[in-house]
Amino acid sequence: MKVNKFYLAALAGAVFSTSVSAQDPPTGRSLYEENCAVCHQYDGGGVPFMQPELFSSKRANAPKGGVIDIILFGSAAEGTGQSGFSNEMPGFDYLTNREIALIATYVRTNFENNGGAVIADDVQPRRK
Amino acid sequence: MNSKIFGVGLTALALVGCSASEDTNHEAQQKIVAEVSMPAVGVADGAAVDATTGISLPAGFSATIFADEVGQVRHIVAAPNGWVYGALRVSMRGNGVVALRDTDGDGVADQREYFGQSIQGSGIGVNNGYLYFSTDTAIMRWPLPESGAPTDEPTVIAEGFVSETQHASKNFTFDGEGNMYVNVGAPSNACMTEMRKKGSPGMRPCPILEKYAGVWRFDADTPGQDQMADGHRYATGIRNALALDWNTHADALYLAQHGRDQLASFFPEMFTNEQSAELPSEEFHRLDDGYDVGWPYSYYDHMKDERMVMPEYGGDGQTVSSEGEKPLFGFPGHWAPNGMMFLEGDALPAGYRKGAFIAFHGSWNRAPMPQQGYRVVYLPLNDDGAVAGDWVTFANGFAGPEPVMSPRNAVHRPMGLTEGPDGAIYISSLMSGGRVWKVTYEGE
Repeated sequence: MKVNKFYLAALAGAVFSTSVSAQDPPTGRSLYEENCAVCHQYDGGGVPFMQPELFSSKRANAPKGGVIDIILFGSAAEGTGQSGFSNEMPGFDYLTNREIALIATYVRTNFENNGGAVIADDVQPRRK
Repeated sequence: MNSKIFGVGLTALALVGCSASEDTNHEAQQKIVAEVSMPAVGVADGAAVDATTGISLPAGFSATIFADEVGQVRHIVAAPNGWVYGALRVSMRGNGVVALRDTDGDGVADQREYFGQSIQGSGIGVNNGYLYFSTDTAIMRWPLPESGAPTDEPTVIAEGFVSETQHASKNFTFDGEGNMYVNVGAPSNACMTEMRKKGSPGMRPCPILEKYAGVWRFDADTPGQDQMADGHRYATGIRNALALDWNTHADALYLAQHGRDQLASFFPEMFTNEQSAELPSEEFHRLDDGYDVGWPYSYYDHMKDERMVMPEYGGDGQTVSSEGEKPLFGFPGHWAPNGMMFLEGDALPAGYRKGAFIAFHGSWNRAPMPQQGYRVVYLPLNDDGAVAGDWVTFANGFAGPEPVMSPRNAVHRPMGLTEGPDGAIYISSLMSGGRVWKVTYEGE
């Protein structure tokens, strides 16, 4: 192939070594990387025109219900096709309240956001 | 891939042997030998980029920034009137098409016009004296003006496509015999019951195949054709093929498909992140009427050289599928083939004339591995349109410093390709304000 595999392996090792291992209890970061990073990217940068970046996010810095709703219901929470991004986001309502709270907290306190923490009790009332 | 390199060598040897034993057609044979034995030489990965243009090219080629800050330009076409037209994904000051012209021959457009009020889109082309353009729901055309922007209203040729956001571009090409072929992408990843939801199974039959996930053929000149009432579903099982072009050398339709996303995130027990970065292949196909690529029931694995059962349909990464056709070639996963071009002129070295130029927009679905593919490649084909050698990189460096760990860091992403009347090649990128490069062959 056209890519130096040793270089790739070394780089991948560097990326993985900063992640928590499977044995540790899930954290906001590990849950984000497992469920969200494939589209929003590990750095929260999103993909131009396809999936929004999470940096200085209006939603992440607003009242916590907005982030919880997007995680629970996906882009349907704001109306399909309204985002200006081409991909639709699925809902993650199969995650537990605690998992959603950890992800919401991670997004609201990283990527240059200061929205503050979310707890599991915040999530339950927003389920439909 | 190594086997393909051997293949070229053997072909060349066989032709040498043939020409030595037959005096008749000796000259023609020598010409073929010369063409086959001088394969396209690409630019090496990591080669220095030109300081002005920001891209690297093979020896003998040079580039100019033909136009900068043109807007979010998708596909482009160099028209016989000397203008280069580009479709804009998002309209600029209310106009969805840009027209560019270099009047003094310095490789930089000095005239620029915008037109196409209240439309925006991705597809653009010239056929039989008309300039065609597509929004996400219709294909329309103007008589090609002598210069610059058309002054009249466009005539709609094909319409009735459902408005979508995912894979919505209606890019098109022509066969030179009065037919137009339109990509109708699937608004879906793998025809899952619930869109992109982990654990959601695939639907069988996939209802999306009825109106999407195929190439529809229309008469290129009849106004007002409806997709389902008047169009002919020429090929199916195609997730999305922004890279679609008619190969005039082999007289056949070719495409490169965007493979599905998220194998590892949906099926971590079956695919590692490394496997999910490489798979599925970005598939390169030649299409005949009635062809079925295989989406969503199967995908191609270029390392196994097999079509595999899609995991949403019971696959496990190991089970071979009998549904769909094997591609002519499989490129690494998620590179996103967004443009394809077959040359008609002979301005380039012989090794570059009959194959497919493919503009890869670059990946977003290889994380946590580095993103890849922000380059234009050349895949050699022979007179019959069969793969005749390993691909080479024709233009690279668009993304800027590597590795690209997040797509937002890519400065430019190749998109559209077109061949000028003088044989120059134009490459577009919609990033960073939108740019078009002009590439010419200057000789060694």
